[in-house]
Amino acid sequence: MIWLTWRQHRKLAFYTLLGFLVLAAVLVPIGLSMRHTFADLGLAQCLRPSTLSETAAQTCEVGLRRFSDRYDSLNLVAVLLITLPVLVGLFWGAPLVAREVEQGTHRFVWTQGVGRTRWALVKFGLVGGAVVLLAVGYGLGMSWWVEPLTKAAHEGRLGVIVFDLQGIVPIGYTLFAVALGIFAGTVFKRMLPAMGITLAGYIGVRAAVEILARPHYQPAKTQTFPIEGGGIPEGDRGNWVLAVGIRDADGTMVAENTRIQCPPGGKGPDGRACGADLGLGPGAYNWEMYQPADRFWLFQSIETGIFVALAVLLLYLAVRRVRRIA
Amino acid sequence: MEMVLEADRLGKRYGRTWALRDCSLHLPAGRIAALVGPNGAGKSTLLHLAVGLLKPDEGAVRVFGRSPYGDTDGLADIGFVAQDTPLYRDFTAAELVVAGGKLNRRWDAALARTRLAQLGIPPDKPVGKLSGGQRAQVALALALAKQPRLLLLDEPVASLDPLARREFLQSLMGSVADSGTTVLLSSHLLADLERVCDYLIVLNAAQVQLTGSVDDLVAGHRQLVGPRHDGGPIGGVAHVVRASHTDRQSTLLVRTDGPVTDPAWTIRDVSLEDVVLAYLADGVAQTSHSEWGVAA
Repeated sequence: MIWLTWRQHRKLAFYTLLGFLVLAAVLVPIGLSMRHTFADLGLAQCLRPSTLSETAAQTCEVGLRRFSDRYDSLNLVAVLLITLPVLVGLFWGAPLVAREVEQGTHRFVWTQGVGRTRWALVKFGLVGGAVVLLAVGYGLGMSWWVEPLTKAAHEGRLGVIVFDLQGIVPIGYTLFAVALGIFAGTVFKRMLPAMGITLAGYIGVRAAVEILARPHYQPAKTQTFPIEGGGIPEGDRGNWVLAVGIRDADGTMVAENTRIQCPPGGKGPDGRACGADLGLGPGAYNWEMYQPADRFWLFQSIETGIFVALAVLLLYLAVRRVRRIA
Repeated sequence: MEMVLEADRLGKRYGRTWALRDCSLHLPAGRIAALVGPNGAGKSTLLHLAVGLLKPDEGAVRVFGRSPYGDTDGLADIGFVAQDTPLYRDFTAAELVVAGGKLNRRWDAALARTRLAQLGIPPDKPVGKLSGGQRAQVALALALAKQPRLLLLDEPVASLDPLARREFLQSLMGSVADSGTTVLLSSHLLADLERVCDYLIVLNAAQVQLTGSVDDLVAGHRQLVGPRHDGGPIGGVAHVVRASHTDRQSTLLVRTDGPVTDPAWTIRDVSLEDVVLAYLADGVAQTSHSEWGVAA
């Protein structure tokens, strides 16, 4: 079985590895140059704003802006890189059973001495294992690659795109994509429909988890700060901000999705108190709901757990369906 | 007599359509059996049930006394060549022999290699690039290397040209003659199999129409020609399989249960093909009438 699996998939494995290496050849130089720039601009110290003197803070501001100007377009590349797990699902998962059935070879291989349950377990296991290795490499590589981008960005590692790219979640996503592909193949029994459903299903589930579930893995924290004076409190950098707004003295939300800051003792345009022109009474304050940055690994584990569990469920269903295909 | 394959009121349904229903048959050991019926008669379904690819919805099928569905150990005794002889097309014949060795506990690789060498099949060419006849031979060699006690072949010659057909059947007969392997091979054309088989199962419209050894079937049927027949009983006739009438004359194909002594009838021997066609025509008429919702 192991020999057969290797013989059947060695070409695909070769091309996958080749693609991986090409990607690395492109991304590693970019990553190195990003790190050099980051160090040259002295941005490492800027990550702790409270320790900075006024002039240093200004240097930081300029440096961060220069860094962003130069590398912001890479955020688009990051978005493209997010699609890699689903590609693995499409090309490794979907054809695994669908191709056998489409070409009729399942009737050959399932009537040899190994039963089809064993066939399915060995095959799913080996492909799953290979895919996990691939995903670990991808996750580690991406963690290294996006680190400077993430540090320079306000949102930090919990931000929607960079979170999905690094750490251990790629393992969950990739396994899920492959399992979904395999399962779709056992249902539709043809490669193209299976691939289409895999793509649609993957996007649907990922979006649903990202939008509906992820913000609630842990109860969100809130913090408030005055509209006049000190500004964003220490430690805000790297938090995942879920909602912001301005509340009145009695706590009612006055303006959603906005925050204002006036310098201490500052006045609005027409000389009134800060925010008065927006209808804010005295005692109004900025409000923010967020997930703290130090929950990164907890959130990674929860999200990975969800997708691994989904993958296991799909593989179980796929094995059951394989027993029903003739 | 040892029964290799037994089906008892076997049925399989796809959605609401029965692909096979109420199918009861016995295949004795050592026979070369032809499974004949038009396309869609349920031949593949019966073979898939026998090799355990399908699970019966009704009744039971037994191969060597065991229920084949989900029975991995039983698979070792069954060689199966599916319709269109599916093989991994990018594998070479030599690689397929290796693959078979990895997938089976009992595997005679030398036998497969010897056969393929004798047939002049290139070992290092992907089988997808071989001719249909050569590919069928590779599939047969792989099935034989399992040293099966029952060999099931689903339409093995349907896609082959007449010469390749003859070669395929000859090589099949040559290899099972000594081993005593029971063979069941299906075709929608009796002519393909008539020369090689000694047992016959006729399947039509999801039902078994006829089953028995070729000699018994030929001996047990007669064609009667005589004055127009009104459907009354005839001495020595078990039942009329098919009747055609002109104004004054009737031609009947009958199953006999004794000598037909009535001098009004001229009695003729029938060929196996006559018998099969008579049973098949019968079944076709029945289904199309019921499908169109009209009385026969």
